[in-house]
Amino acid sequence: MSSDRLDLRIEDLTVVYGGVTALDNVNITVPPGGFVTVLGANGAGKTTLVRSITSLLYLHKGRVRRGSITLGGESILDKKSPDIVKAGVAQVPEGRKLFPNLTVKENLLCGAASRSDVNAIDDSLEQNLELFPQLRPLLNQTAGLLSGGEQQMVAVGRALMSDPALLICDELSLGLAPKIVHRLFELLTEINERRGTSILVIEQNASLALQHAADAYVLELGRVLIEGTADELRGNPMVQELYLGGGGEAHTSYAAIERPSRRTETHGRRPPVSET
Amino acid sequence: MLLAFGNFTADPSVNLQLLIGGLALGAIYAVVALGFVLVYKSTDVLNLAHGEFLMLGAYFALTFLISENLNFFLGVFVLLLVMLVFGLLVHYGIMRRMVGQGFFAIVLITLGIATIIRALLLIFYGPTERARLDLLPQGSFEVGGATVRYVDLIIFGVVAACVLLFFLFFKYTRLGLHMRAVADDIEAAAAMGIDPDKVYAMTWAAAMVMAGIGGLLFGHVTGAIDRSIEAIGLRAFPAAVVGGLTSLGGSIVGGLVVGVIEQFANGHLGTKWREPVAFSVMFVVLLVRPTGLWGRKDLERV
Repeated sequence: MSSDRLDLRIEDLTVVYGGVTALDNVNITVPPGGFVTVLGANGAGKTTLVRSITSLLYLHKGRVRRGSITLGGESILDKKSPDIVKAGVAQVPEGRKLFPNLTVKENLLCGAASRSDVNAIDDSLEQNLELFPQLRPLLNQTAGLLSGGEQQMVAVGRALMSDPALLICDELSLGLAPKIVHRLFELLTEINERRGTSILVIEQNASLALQHAADAYVLELGRVLIEGTADELRGNPMVQELYLGGGGEAHTSYAAIERPSRRTETHGRRPPVSET
Repeated sequence: MLLAFGNFTADPSVNLQLLIGGLALGAIYAVVALGFVLVYKSTDVLNLAHGEFLMLGAYFALTFLISENLNFFLGVFVLLLVMLVFGLLVHYGIMRRMVGQGFFAIVLITLGIATIIRALLLIFYGPTERARLDLLPQGSFEVGGATVRYVDLIIFGVVAACVLLFFLFFKYTRLGLHMRAVADDIEAAAAMGIDPDKVYAMTWAAAMVMAGIGGLLFGHVTGAIDRSIEAIGLRAFPAAVVGGLTSLGGSIVGGLVVGVIEQFANGHLGTKWREPVAFSVMFVVLLVRPTGLWGRKDLERV
């Protein structure tokens, strides 16, 4: 269904907020129709990664110092956020970020801001309601009054309204019941397989993300620490220890793992906090 | 002690006259309050230059409708078009650079804009006051011993029509939806492909057009047109706050309530009580309902 199959390539990306380096030489690729997850703890630079791709860094006084981001071979680094949505990148922001005073239907329609074909928008709305039948009776409800799970469905549906080639989900699982999160991940897999939409999932819930994704990256303090297929990462002792609850045989001590340090270039000032 | 409060009267025709005068004044307040609400709702900016915007509208009405003597409808069209261009100028020239700055920094910028408009009007129009506009029908008729001016009725109708138009615009158009989305969460709106810059530009343009309409109407009922009529902005402020600053309907009800209360204070207590009473009403409303009568309380489930 999606317009095109496009690959996302992030190469040597370095992002700074003031003097603080939030991402340092990051390379990540989402192949066309791929399902990729980026894992990492708080402050690893996950949200900065999303903001870089979707050109929202400026709202947080961040900027790209080096590197490139291309979608289907075309640079999207200097594009404004509306043009990036138009090019095929949609996002489910961290914390859902619905428009609380708008109705569910109005929220969904806002997701189609980059499109103008009324019939196609109606089709997408109908597809969404087939994907999330629970939302149909809630269409005229004020979004801020829905439960967390319902809100997250609206957030995913809203992103899909732009008919994206790439769907980015930032911390989908945050604050939701495990059952709902499982269901959402199943739906993402379905969207990925049926529509060929590429999926990039930024997650703290590593075990679930690794079950569904094909490729995975571990981001730590702004750098890619580990990368590989999801299977490889599941078998990686360090990932097991740090992100999968230490179920593996190798019990590497947390302190013994060599971690890259965040490179700062401050001038003695305390920089603004970058992650929200 | 009560005697000091002036002469209370139970004469129904006097009270009816005060009510009618209050509603007429309230309609003017409502137009101004609508301008406050429009900008505050969509850009989160408290625009203290709105009184000056309105004054700009009144002076432009003088230019196009009196000096240039254009046909009434053509003149109004040109007036609103020029106001629209000025609105875009305010956004692209000044306010755009302020996005992301602190609330009070932006409020101070609007005070700066107000000063600039006052100065420009002094430079281009000089210090002499002008006679008020007289393009709308001037007569009046009697109802139950009270006089109703046609011009007040027209103002009432125009304000009602504006509110209805804005309501339909916000509810049923794409741009209106996008404006509400930006008002709710600018970052989420940007992430959905809505361009906040365009939305803000349209908001300032719409506010200026509203001020053009307001200036045209107020220019008909003010004593004379001079550089003191911007005070209508401050006088309508309680109306906007009572209404809740985020609700279009609230700005109308707030305008009418404050207008009527002021007229009754004026008639029964004396002119000096008019503004103290209006602001007292604002304080009491804010004490009971901090977001105003119809103000938005952000819905967020955590």
